[in-house]
Amino acid sequence: MQNEESLVRRAQQHDQDAFAQLYEEYFDKIYRYIAFKIGNKTEAEDMTQQVFLNAIKSISSFRWRGIPFSAWLFRIAHNQVVDYLRKKAKHATTSLDEVLVSNGNNPQLVAEQNLDIERLLLATKQLTQAQREVISLRFASELSIAQVARVMGKNQGAIKALQHSAIVALRKTLSVE
Amino acid sequence: MKKSREFDNVLNECLERLLVNGETIEQCLASCPKQATELKPLLQTALVAKNASVIQPRPEFKARARYQFHLALQEVAAKRSRPLFGWQPRWATAIAIVLILLLTGGSTVAAADNSMPDGPLYGVKLATEQVRLTLTPSELGKAQLYASFTDKRVLEIARMAKKGKSEQVERTTQQLNAHLAMITQLVSAYEEEAGVLMAPAPAKVPGSSRQAEGKSFPAKQANMRAKLRTDMAYYAIHHPAVLRAALRQAPEAVKPALLRAIAVSEANYEKALEALD
Repeated sequence: MQNEESLVRRAQQHDQDAFAQLYEEYFDKIYRYIAFKIGNKTEAEDMTQQVFLNAIKSISSFRWRGIPFSAWLFRIAHNQVVDYLRKKAKHATTSLDEVLVSNGNNPQLVAEQNLDIERLLLATKQLTQAQREVISLRFASELSIAQVARVMGKNQGAIKALQHSAIVALRKTLSVE
Repeated sequence: MKKSREFDNVLNECLERLLVNGETIEQCLASCPKQATELKPLLQTALVAKNASVIQPRPEFKARARYQFHLALQEVAAKRSRPLFGWQPRWATAIAIVLILLLTGGSTVAAADNSMPDGPLYGVKLATEQVRLTLTPSELGKAQLYASFTDKRVLEIARMAKKGKSEQVERTTQQLNAHLAMITQLVSAYEEEAGVLMAPAPAKVPGSSRQAEGKSFPAKQANMRAKLRTDMAYYAIHHPAVLRAALRQAPEAVKPALLRAIAVSEANYEKALEALD
């Protein structure tokens, strides 16, 4: 990907190619973040699409003031997740089966993967909201510590500490041998 | 505290090597022998979490989402470059149309009604539609208007396809898509409002204007809704059929755009009908 700042500036001037590059870069990451947070595949698909449609509408209001584009985009996703969870008034427990991976030709492998996801989603319910956010952004969306810090508005040291405590809590629940 | 921060840093470095650089747990531990005992179970857990987090969106969803995203981008671009009336506020558009009517006795507007997306009066046609929407107060009335506009858009797409004009097919498909989305949105807004108004009706006031109309306001709304449902059910079958017929006669270059128009119309009619069910 080209320099992100230059892509964003071009996207703000309605350069479709630039916006398309940003879309391709972040689509899967945003999808995994939302799917991981809400635990429902169909809803995650609709919400991911909405994140990018909202981004098109409000890209002109984005300003480079030390906040990277990724942080801005994940904030849109985060706000949508918060709205969704508020509406549902309960956390992601309803449709775990829908969030599971459906691709792959090996049914046994897919089943094992599904089981892992289900266990992980259940385990993350034991975490605090901040720990869960760090795990979603670090492991599902594959953001760096610096990026997670920007998204969550905390310093890197705080994020590393949260990452540590989240993994310890996950280990207790998952009982990894 | 300092020791804890140090360990957080070491853990993070190992996670980067494990998850980003693809090193093994053993390789990571070998470079930090002092913390190896404490690190090992955490890295194992992180690996399990990482592997389980790889949730992939369905390819068919990705393709559909990408298409919708590009349509939205084109819509924004089209709005920016709309040549006639598009940039003006609604009231200005309304005044412009009234002026045209006064100056031409309505002949221009009447002629524009039959114009196609490649014609000089097409902007007047779209602006006239905007005025009609502006002057229609109710959600259901607006939705009914949008439904009638979809009929025009489909005819225009078919004509443009026959002429081999891909760009106009794409642009008109965006408009069709926007009309259908507006119908879904307006019907949903109406349903929410109707839900609030479902409380028992107060006693009728003698001589009230609504009573004077001979039919109660909710009954009228229900009739409008039923008519809209019937129209949309018909269009949901008829419009894709018109586009498929156009596809058979269209030049090869236009076919991809036309196929997208068919996909858009089928998916969005389904959504609009769901909102009406």
